[in-house]
Amino acid sequence: MITVHLEPEGGTLTFPRITTVLQLLHKTGRKPGRAIVIRGTELLTPDRRLAAGDTIILRDVGSRG
Amino acid sequence: MKCTRCRELAAVALPSHHSAFCPECFLLFCRRMVERAIHDHAMCTPEDRILVALSGGKDSLSLAWLLRELGYQVTGLHIDLGIPGSSAVARRITENFCARHGIALHVLEMEAMGLGMAQVRQRVKRPICSVCGQTKRYFFNRFALENGFSVLATGHNLDDETSRLLANVLRWDADFLADQGPVLSAQEGFVRKIKPLYRLTEFETANLSFLLGIETASAPCPYSAKATFPVYKHLLADLEDRQPGRKLQFYEGFLKHGRKHFASHSTPDLTPCVRCGSPTSTELCGVCRLKAMMTSEADLPEARDNVLDSGQQA
Ligand code: SF4
Ligand SMILES: [Zn+2]
Ligand SMILES: [Zn+2]
Repeated sequence: MITVHLEPEGGTLTFPRITTVLQLLHKTGRKPGRAIVIRGTELLTPDRRLAAGDTIILRDVGSRG
Repeated sequence: MKCTRCRELAAVALPSHHSAFCPECFLLFCRRMVERAIHDHAMCTPEDRILVALSGGKDSLSLAWLLRELGYQVTGLHIDLGIPGSSAVARRITENFCARHGIALHVLEMEAMGLGMAQVRQRVKRPICSVCGQTKRYFFNRFALENGFSVLATGHNLDDETSRLLANVLRWDADFLADQGPVLSAQEGFVRKIKPLYRLTEFETANLSFLLGIETASAPCPYSAKATFPVYKHLLADLEDRQPGRKLQFYEGFLKHGRKHFASHSTPDLTPCVRCGSPTSTELCGVCRLKAMMTSEADLPEARDNVLDSGQQA
């Protein structure tokens, strides 16, 4: 199970069967280059593999500031 | 995916540059993009005293950090707008960041001047974002001039710049097109303004700010309106997906080939504001009129001020 926190809108999603960052982006309706994908202190490129138990922050970059 | 430069594990993929970078090389990439912007447009020198407009957002804080890393003399100015919920958060993030990185910081409190945006919003009829933007531009410029800064730097990124360019092109707004660019020279009453992040996308500054440990504000401005620029940002992002590198080409192409054709368009005649001396197209500048309105019982007419309203001073 992968747990995903969405920023900035807030909210948490879980996905039982996702194995890559690219799949995660597709599943959440995002494209590479529009959101940064954070696991702990690490930034993940779209090709990276995810493991069961991972907690991910998906941060959209379109917000102001 | 491996880092294009050192072959370590990549953290940021950048199709528009046919590259991917590990954290360390990505920081170097950002430095180089800013160095190139500064160099290509003769934005500033190590002798300049640079005031950085710090909103508390990722772009402006990253900019202050980058300029400092590159050896420039950097001081931050944060304007506390007095907006319930968001201003206190933005201020705290800015203060923490500057303290952590040893960046000198000044804070101007709009509420103390009778211009807190919560109160202003009750009185004005114009959209609050237009009044707020005008007020910020006025105080950033004025603070720079009165305190001996030769340059005012803002955190506009490539997405800000290209979306505005596209909007101006679609309206064929010749005056705004003439003024658009990463540098606005100093003029009587205006400090030189520079946008050293203009070659970096929003995605790149988001990655950068994460690597720098910049806190992201969880409290957006409650007045933030549906602006039109996001529409253009999305259009350009779709174009970028199909044609990586298009945004930067569009903007650089405009600077190189397009802008000169608009340059002859004249700006309004400016005279010093009778109250504060700032250049204005009317007798009393927009901010002095706002102050007068906030201190009077009656509502004064809200004449527009072309100067403070114009995109030029954004
Ligand atoms: S969203 Fe509008 S009111 Fe809020 S800080 Fe930005 S310009 Fe000011
Ligand atoms: Zn590297
Ligand atoms: Zn004035």
